[in-house]
Amino acid sequence: MKTVVVTGATSGIGLAACRELAKLGYGIIGVGRNADRCAGTAEALQGEFPEASIAYFCADLSRQAEVLRVGREIRSHVEEKCEGKLRALVSNAGGVRSYYTTTEDGYETVFALNHLAGFLLSHALLPCLKAGGGRLLVTSSASHKGTRVNWRDIMFRRRYNPLAVYKQSKLLNALFAFGFRDRFSGLGVSAACVDPGLVRTEIGLKDTGGLVKFVWGLRMKRGVEPEVPARAFARLIDAEEPPRALYYRGAKPARHSRQVNRKNADRLWNLSEQLSGAHREEAKT
Amino acid sequence: MTVMITGAAGGLGRAFAMECAARGHDLLLTDLSAEGLGRVSQGIRRLYGVRVFEKSCDITDERAVDELIAYANGAGLRLDMLLNVAGLDREGGFLERGFGDISAILRVNVEATLRVTHRALSLRRADGRFHIVFVSSLASMYPMPLKATYAASKRFLLDFSIALGRELERENVSVLALCPGGMPTRDDCIRAIEAQGFWGRATTTALETVTRRTIAKALRGKKVYVPGAVNLLFSILGKVVPPLAVAKLVYRRWSSVQKKLA
Ligand SMILES: NC(=O)c1ccc[n+]([C@@H]2O[C@H](COP(=O)([O-])OP(=O)(O)OC[C@H]3O[C@@H](n4cnc5c(N)ncnc54)[C@H](OP(=O)(O)O)[C@@H]3O)[C@@H](O)[C@H]2O)c1
Repeated sequence: MKTVVVTGATSGIGLAACRELAKLGYGIIGVGRNADRCAGTAEALQGEFPEASIAYFCADLSRQAEVLRVGREIRSHVEEKCEGKLRALVSNAGGVRSYYTTTEDGYETVFALNHLAGFLLSHALLPCLKAGGGRLLVTSSASHKGTRVNWRDIMFRRRYNPLAVYKQSKLLNALFAFGFRDRFSGLGVSAACVDPGLVRTEIGLKDTGGLVKFVWGLRMKRGVEPEVPARAFARLIDAEEPPRALYYRGAKPARHSRQVNRKNADRLWNLSEQLSGAHREEAKT
Repeated sequence: MTVMITGAAGGLGRAFAMECAARGHDLLLTDLSAEGLGRVSQGIRRLYGVRVFEKSCDITDERAVDELIAYANGAGLRLDMLLNVAGLDREGGFLERGFGDISAILRVNVEATLRVTHRALSLRRADGRFHIVFVSSLASMYPMPLKATYAASKRFLLDFSIALGRELERENVSVLALCPGGMPTRDDCIRAIEAQGFWGRATTTALETVTRRTIAKALRGKKVYVPGAVNLLFSILGKVVPPLAVAKLVYRRWSSVQKKLA
């Protein structure tokens, strides 16, 4: 049996992806931020797929200490129960904030959650991905287009604009997949990012208010059901061949912004290592 | 330049620490939570590469503050600025709370804040200017039923700050009282702001703007800073509307907000 890790697995696209993958017989390791929702979701999925192996881990991924903790826990779980092998990591947890807030590490919340968490978790699980010839899939978005990385103020301490911050985070997702590919495809671990399209989830209604909530309330009505992108994730994971392209819309290769290039990817990689201490963590393992 | 910040692991304290570090200032950070302090200090070092000195301390404890000051002396630190951010905000009627909770507000917001200020002044440079910021609140402008103790403690800080500023002018020390309305420091604060509806949002000011302007104003020797146009208007109203009328209004508003949050 092959196993996948999905973050943001208690609602929206992540949850739907878990369901599709369980249907195909994959073992599911889900990560969510709320203990009750984690337990409830695990129970519901187990009810739907009595044969499947389903485990949920709870962690607030905006906090580095929590990412490291859950990374260690998942790794020992995979070593004990799954021969140390992972087929895929779906780095999908994400969110929007109406205001500038910082995490306990002092970093802007959306930057920490949408980007840094996936970066750090992928490092923690790299040994399992290597052993399983696995793939990393990052949930990016078409909204990564028409923007640039705000290098001078990547955490938007000046002029915080919820949409700009979110768009940048999705560009960072694509750059992260680019950098990951460059560094690890030689080790048999591939990486790609997926634009799920406009999906009817509650992402813009959580931890926001005012304009953000209002706009997303209108927009989400036009979105597709989460099952649609979930099937795309399942196909990319289940396909014999690892994904060749860097950027997919659904399960089809698509064009990404020109900002997604090696220069930006390397710059982001170095910054992310510096901010997360990931190189040091890796050296320890 | 070296800045000392109390309550540095909390939402506003962290934002201040990031702002000062972005300006290239070294930091002396303190907070009740050693763990939180370690996390934010590490984050700042990684992002900005400034020197960060950290020591957890219960500022209501005389001995702990002695140790904090000794630590700073031992590290050879001289301070240019003190940001008094640590404070307690507890809501609810006077009788709904145990007296321990009520006196804790006074101990932290008033007594401990003055203790830290008194002791930190001994760490100022012999030759330079020294800046003190007290985090008061928009609540300091009125008598506030259901937040009576909190509002009065912030009123104490506002008056004290203005008086102390006058007193220490000849010592080359400037004192600023920051009086913010709601600030979205954490996700639960955002929810509380949303629960207040339109007025919640109108009186809310962005954290990053407040911290940036506060430091700029402190350096320019300003005395009082009320962030946000609506808040400024409210603070002026607070001076002209009779206190009894304000108390009546505030009581009505807070009772309905608390019902919504409950
Ligand atoms: N919806 C769209 O149209 C769309 C379009 C393009 C890209 N995306 C991307 O798709 C991904 C999933 O979004 P979605 O639309 O499915 O939204 P969603 O339903 O809100 O899913 C987000 C997931 O992340 C979890 N999460 C949030 N904060 C977390 C934290 N601090 N720690 C751990 N987990 C946390 C949420 O947990 P809870 O269940 O507890 O809330 C939830 O499971 C995001 O990366 C988003 O940027 C979405």
